Amino acid sequence: MLESLQALAVGFSVATTLHNLFYCLMGAVVGTLVGVLPGVGPIAGIALLIPATYGLEPTSAIIMLAGIYYGAMYGGSTTSILLNVPGETASVITCLDGYQMAQRGRAGAALAICAIGSFVAGTLGIVGLSLLAPPLAQAALAFGPPEYFSLMAFGFIALSNVTGTSLLKSLMMAVAGLAIGTIGLDPVTGEARFAYGSDYLLGGIEFVAVAIGLFGIGEVLSNVNRPAAALEQAVKIPRLRELYPSGQDLKRSAWPILRGSGVGFGVGLVPGPAPVIATYSSYMIERKISKHPERFGQGAIEGVAGPESANNAACQSAFIPLFVLGIPFAPPTAILLGAFLIHGVTPGPLLISEHPNLFWGVIASMYIGNFVLLVLNLPFVPLFANILRIPKKVLLPLVIVFCLTGMYTVNNSVFDIWMMILFGVVGFLLRRWAYEGAPLLLALVLGPKLEVAFRQSLMISHGDFGVFVNRPVSLVFLLAAVAFLLLPICKTCYRQIRRAAAG
Amino acid sequence: MLRKMAFICMALALLACPLAMAADFPAKEVQIIVPWSAGGATDLIFRALANTTEKYLKKPVVVVNRPGGGGAVGYTEGSKAKPDGYTLTAAVTPLTILPHNVKTAFTYRSFVPIINVVSDPSMFLVQAKAPWKDLKEFLTYAKQNPGMITVGNSGAGGGVHLVALAFQNAAGVKLNHIPFAGGGPSVTALLGGHINAVVVSPPEGIAHIKAGKLRIIALFADKRLSMFPNVPTVSEQGVPFVMGMWRGLVAPKGTPPAVIKKLHDAFQKGMNDPAFKKNARDMSINLNYLGGADFGKLIADSDAKFGALIKQMKKK
Repeated sequence: MLESLQALAVGFSVATTLHNLFYCLMGAVVGTLVGVLPGVGPIAGIALLIPATYGLEPTSAIIMLAGIYYGAMYGGSTTSILLNVPGETASVITCLDGYQMAQRGRAGAALAICAIGSFVAGTLGIVGLSLLAPPLAQAALAFGPPEYFSLMAFGFIALSNVTGTSLLKSLMMAVAGLAIGTIGLDPVTGEARFAYGSDYLLGGIEFVAVAIGLFGIGEVLSNVNRPAAALEQAVKIPRLRELYPSGQDLKRSAWPILRGSGVGFGVGLVPGPAPVIATYSSYMIERKISKHPERFGQGAIEGVAGPESANNAACQSAFIPLFVLGIPFAPPTAILLGAFLIHGVTPGPLLISEHPNLFWGVIASMYIGNFVLLVLNLPFVPLFANILRIPKKVLLPLVIVFCLTGMYTVNNSVFDIWMMILFGVVGFLLRRWAYEGAPLLLALVLGPKLEVAFRQSLMISHGDFGVFVNRPVSLVFLLAAVAFLLLPICKTCYRQIRRAAAG
Repeated sequence: MLRKMAFICMALALLACPLAMAADFPAKEVQIIVPWSAGGATDLIFRALANTTEKYLKKPVVVVNRPGGGGAVGYTEGSKAKPDGYTLTAAVTPLTILPHNVKTAFTYRSFVPIINVVSDPSMFLVQAKAPWKDLKEFLTYAKQNPGMITVGNSGAGGGVHLVALAFQNAAGVKLNHIPFAGGGPSVTALLGGHINAVVVSPPEGIAHIKAGKLRIIALFADKRLSMFPNVPTVSEQGVPFVMGMWRGLVAPKGTPPAVIKKLHDAFQKGMNDPAFKKNARDMSINLNYLGGADFGKLIADSDAKFGALIKQMKKK
């Protein structure tokens, strides 16, 4: 621990050279930009800038590219809150309450609490990263296919009804998500499933297309369907003094931010859809323990503060497997791995001993970068909040343009744009009949991973189902899933017995 | 009469077109379609090569990512591009695998080979503390316990998966093949002890071999790796077997030979550029120059091998 602190001090001397400070700032700025633009995520941002770093020293290059990744986590919530367009997969959940807050004239408070929560969670995440990286990476290795399966199964059961509206409707949406997730190449035999001879369907349905379609395009279409006069009145324009969160807001957000940080940091160590699980879990926890769960979905600030913090903490802990194992658990870290390799640095078990200055320099730059991002993002709050002053008849077409261009940048695919429009229409219809998009997106992300982990486990165990219950970690998750299913039933029974006894 | 003359003029113009095109090629930027996402090994290699080739081609070389369908989307687009030499495709082993596995709009015959850039041998890795000291012990155990050794690969029907299948045929053993979503997850599962071995191609796993966590138990190369000169190939140990992954550039069928030659010469110079060589060394990839004809032979040979393997795999 003491050694880590000493090494970190050396890291700060590396990170605070004028040169490296500049690249840290650059990363933060670019990250914020790609985060704000829907569709354009950290992956595109980092990939675009890798060639620009060829002439740089490895440390400066990684400082900048890592900055883009965690910087994008700050901006991702902006369009979710203002326009109901999730900028990143991680900010789907922020749409639920963030957008409602904006509609009630509280966009400024929502945006500001995102920046503050992101800063707190990001910083806590780096503390964890700098003190505990090697042991945590070893812990992550204990997760084999059976553990993933049980974790995903638990996540699926616990998080399907994340919005807490109708259980039946949520489950219907989740099953639809599972079905959509089966399209593409079979992960075990490599055969085509439901592709109908189309090369584009072979790759499966792009998550971002479904997310932007269901939320962003769907919202625009619902608005278009309303009378023009009602439309302009619906949004409350924020007043100047309401641009920043009140003391009450901060107080209500403090615990959700801390809880979100913890959940996010833990989930970030799990390969795959960590940001999605982290944000959904945080939202679920806040809604469950809230004294006023009915406010969720109506603009509860806890529903913004928690998930946004979880998202940033998950992003920081995702660096642990990259640095210590040299293995990317998330797509943006896969791009970063490439950046490391092209600069002749191989992340992995030898990184800390072979390149101490690079490792600790990058870690130190993250502390600085997170602070820069807070300072950078807060002044933008009034500017972004004022976007809502734009008349809807101008704003809505602009949103569509943003969605179309943003979608194209994800895979340079026109097919994805058509998919997005298709899911936009679906989103419009779902809204009319009060179905939620969130469970569908969750199932779309978890479904394929669940299937692969299940089949892998059984292949490894030669078909023995005991593999799921013989391993302690896996068993714990399965028991938790069962408890989650049975608890509400027990509660109802208990109440009925009591009522019977009383009556 | 007038009509006849116009026809002749047009025919002449059409004939002259490719010639004129070859002479002043390239007149604009050249695109390389990479059928995978940005940041993967193939993407990085061709971005680095594009960077050094620009000065020899005297026009920008731009990498465009068209991921999806395990490469099918990118190859379909690449094969349908105008055969004028301005749209090239990064050809990697799956080009000769996909058409056997699923119905595709292309085969390797839809393309003309330009140059091969990289050939990486595949290999089996096990944990450093695994009970098998060498290939002989590994194979003996596999023979005594058919289907018990679990071998992770980077994707069902993918390149290294088929290499592993081909090796088990060559060595006369039966292994239990577990597909993962990429080389990273399969190596993670080996590190965590959830599987017994993985089949990979460098640079996957190299960092862990250097750190002493994993070791190479079977190397399918024609000669030893310069990085690990103490690791013998499987051929040295009595199982004659060489197989790996290749990465090169192809153009759509019908591209004029003169244009192909110009592209080949420029990319060859780009390959020999010290900056690119350093990039390749840093990434632990094995540069292997092959001209168009030899590359074409390699692709056809690989297509035949994989075709037979997949037929055998599907029969089961």
